Amino acid sequence: MPPVSKRRPSLAIGAVGMVLAVAACAGGNTQPAAPSSVSKDLATDQVTLTLAYTDDPPTKALIDAFHALHPTITITGQQTPFSDYIKSIKLSMASPTPPDIAEYNPGAMRSLVPAGLIYDLSSYERLYGWGTGFPASSLEVLKSNSTAKVYGTGGLYAVPGALSVLGVYYNKSLVRAAGITRPPVALDEFGQDLAAVKRTGKTPLSVGGLQVGGFQVWNALGNVLGDEKQYRDWVYGKPGATIQTDGAKQAAQRIVDWANAGYLPRSANATADSDAQANFVNGKSAYLITGNWAAATIAKSMGDNVGFFLLPAATTGDAPVASGASVAYSISARTKHPNEAAAFLDFMRSAQAATIQFDTGFMPVNNQTTVNATGVLADIATAFKTVVDANGIVPFPDFASPNMIDRLTAGVQGLLSKQTTPDQFLVSLQESWTQYHG
Amino acid sequence: MVDGNTAVLPGGSATRPGGAAAPRRRRRRSHRLVALAYVAPAGFVYLAFAIWPAIHTVLLSFLHWDGILPARWAGLANYTSVFTDSTLRPALWHAIVLILFFAVIPCALGLLMTALLQGGVRGMTAFRAIFFLPQVLPLVAVGITWRWLYNDDGLVNTALRAVGLGGITRAWLGDYHFALAALGLIGTWAMSGLCMTLFLAGVQRIDVALYEAVALDGGGAVRRLTAVTLPALRGEITIASVITTIAALASFDLVFVTTNGGPVNQTTVPGLLVYRLAFNESDIGRASALAVVLTAIVIAFVAAIRGLTRERP
Repeated sequence: MPPVSKRRPSLAIGAVGMVLAVAACAGGNTQPAAPSSVSKDLATDQVTLTLAYTDDPPTKALIDAFHALHPTITITGQQTPFSDYIKSIKLSMASPTPPDIAEYNPGAMRSLVPAGLIYDLSSYERLYGWGTGFPASSLEVLKSNSTAKVYGTGGLYAVPGALSVLGVYYNKSLVRAAGITRPPVALDEFGQDLAAVKRTGKTPLSVGGLQVGGFQVWNALGNVLGDEKQYRDWVYGKPGATIQTDGAKQAAQRIVDWANAGYLPRSANATADSDAQANFVNGKSAYLITGNWAAATIAKSMGDNVGFFLLPAATTGDAPVASGASVAYSISARTKHPNEAAAFLDFMRSAQAATIQFDTGFMPVNNQTTVNATGVLADIATAFKTVVDANGIVPFPDFASPNMIDRLTAGVQGLLSKQTTPDQFLVSLQESWTQYHG
Repeated sequence: MVDGNTAVLPGGSATRPGGAAAPRRRRRRSHRLVALAYVAPAGFVYLAFAIWPAIHTVLLSFLHWDGILPARWAGLANYTSVFTDSTLRPALWHAIVLILFFAVIPCALGLLMTALLQGGVRGMTAFRAIFFLPQVLPLVAVGITWRWLYNDDGLVNTALRAVGLGGITRAWLGDYHFALAALGLIGTWAMSGLCMTLFLAGVQRIDVALYEAVALDGGGAVRRLTAVTLPALRGEITIASVITTIAALASFDLVFVTTNGGPVNQTTVPGLLVYRLAFNESDIGRASALAVVLTAIVIAFVAAIRGLTRERP
C-alpha cells in the first residue's frame, strides 16, 4: 500500500515526517563494523535469534532445517511484505533492539554499511572458507567498500541463501506450431524464431514494460551483446566506468527493432509484470523473459508445455552470461550471538540447504549438489549450472545506483514507444550513475 | 458534564448579593479547563500526527540525510536542487492538467447531474449511491481495475471496436500521448459522484418559491440554474473544488498503481517524486523540501479558489 493518502497533503506529508522523526533517533557511527571473537564453536545452551525477512520461500524452510540440525539454536522469523520491508528494515536495523539476522536488500540497506550497523563478514568468510561452496559471483555482488559506493570488492556484508537467474521461458506448443524445433543457440536464431512465431499470428514475446519486465529484456540482450567486464565494473561503481558502450547500445537498438517488427506487444508499456506473465501462461505469447522466481507459478499452470533457456550468446559458443540475484542474509552489528548467526549463513552452502532452495523454486547456492528436477525446473537448473560454472552471473542493472530503476523503466518505455533513442537512453542511465558514483 | 460549580441549588447563587464576580470568573476559568480537557485527546493526536510531523518535515528539508547516517546541514541546497531538477517541472505541469480532470470536469458534471436530478426522480437514492460509490472504494483497487479496463483487450477498447472505432484502440495507459488523459479520466470518474452528492445536498435547502419566481418571470432551465441554483450552491462548489483540486495536486496512489509515472515519465506527479526520493533514493532532505514546496503550491491553489468563489459585496 502506498503510504501517501489522497486527499490530505498535510497528513500525507505528515506521515512521511513521522517515519523520519522515528528515524532521527538512529545514527552516529560512520565506520563499518566487524565482529570480534569469531569462532565456529557454538553456544551449548539455548540461543534464540530473530530473523527479519521478506522472501518466503525459501526463508522459513531454511530456518526449520537449520534448527533441526542445531536444536540449541532457535531462529524466530519475522516476515514483512516486500514494499513495507524495504521501507522499514533500515529503521529496525538502526533501532536499539534490531533483529540478529536480516534479509539483505541493497537499495534499502546499503547505508547500514558505513553506519556500522551490519557486520563485515570477511572474518567468517576466511574462518569457514566460504570461497568453496558459494559461487564467487554470488559473494562478489554482496561486497562493497566502507562507504558502500563501490561494490564487488571489499568487506562482505551478506551471504546468499538462494540464487536466481534471468532467462527465457517458452511455450512448447506455440513454438512447435511456428516450426521451431530446438532452443536457439545464437541470438540471431532467436530473432528468426520470434519472426516465425509472428507469422503464425501470435505475439512472440510478452513484456511487462510498466514495471521491470521492459528493462529485463534490455538487460538480457546487453548481457549477450556487451562486454561482461565493462558491465560488471559499471554496476559495481568502479571509477570511470560507463554504460555508454557498443554492447549496451546494440541491446537498446535491438529492442527498438523488435518493437518495430511487432515482436513485442504494442501494449507493453501498460502491462505489469504479473499481467505479462499471465498472458504468457494463458498462451497469448510464445516467449517471456524473466527469472526463475516465476518458475513455480508458471510450471503449475503450464505443466510440461513450458521450457527455459538462457538468452543465447551473440555468437554460438561464447561463454554464457546472465543476470542473477540472491536472497541473502546480513548479521546485525548489535547481535549478541554473531557466531550462531554466522553458522546459519554457513548452512546455506550445505547440500541439505541446496535441496530446500531448489525445491522452493530457487537455484541452490551450492551447485555441486545434484538435485532431482523435472520439466522446466530441470531446464533452469541445467542452464544455471552452465552460467555459474563459467562465472557468468552478473548483477541486475538497477543495482548500480538508487534511482537507476526509474531511469531504466522510463528509458525502455521510451525505446518501446520510439520517444527515446538508444543514445538518449544510455545518457540518462549514465547521468544517474554519475550523480551517485561520480 | 458535572462539576461542583454548576451544581447550583434552586434559588441559591443566582442573586447572591456582593462578591458575585469572583466565583463567576473562577467558574468561567474552570469551564475553560474542562473544555480543554475534552479537546486535549484529539488535540494531542492532531499535534503528534499532523502538526509536529509537518514542522519536522520543514526542519528535515534543510538537512542532507539518508535516514541512517548523521545528518548534515544543507541550508537551501535541497530547495535549489528541487527547483533546478528537470523532473519537477513536468510533474507539476501534469498535476495542473490533472486539476482539469479531477476538479473542473467533475464539478461541471456534478452540476449537470444535479440540475437533471433536482426535484426528485424515481430511484434517486439508487442514483446517488451509484455515483457516490467510487468515493467508497480504495483508489488502489480503482487503479488496478482501470488498468484492466484500459488494457489492449480491455472493456474500453472492446467498446470502441463495437462502435467501429477499432482504428484508435490502444493500451491507453501505456500510450505516450494519451496516458495522462486516460489517468485523468479515472479521476473524473472517481470525483464526479462526490461533487454531485455535495451539490444535491445543497439544493435541498433552496426555497422552491425562488424557482417559481423565475418561472413567473418567464425564465427557463438555464435561468433557474444561473439565477438560483449556482448562487445558492456557492459554498458547496467551493468545498468540492478545494477537495478535488487537492486530490489532483497531491495525487499519488492512483498514479502509483496505474502508470507509476510512465510511460517515459509522461504521468509523473510531485507526490510520486516525493515517494521516490524518500524511499528509493533515501534522500530524505530533498524529499522533504519537495513535500514542503508541494504543500505551498496546494495552499496557494486553495487560497486562489476561495478568493475566486468568495461572495462579493
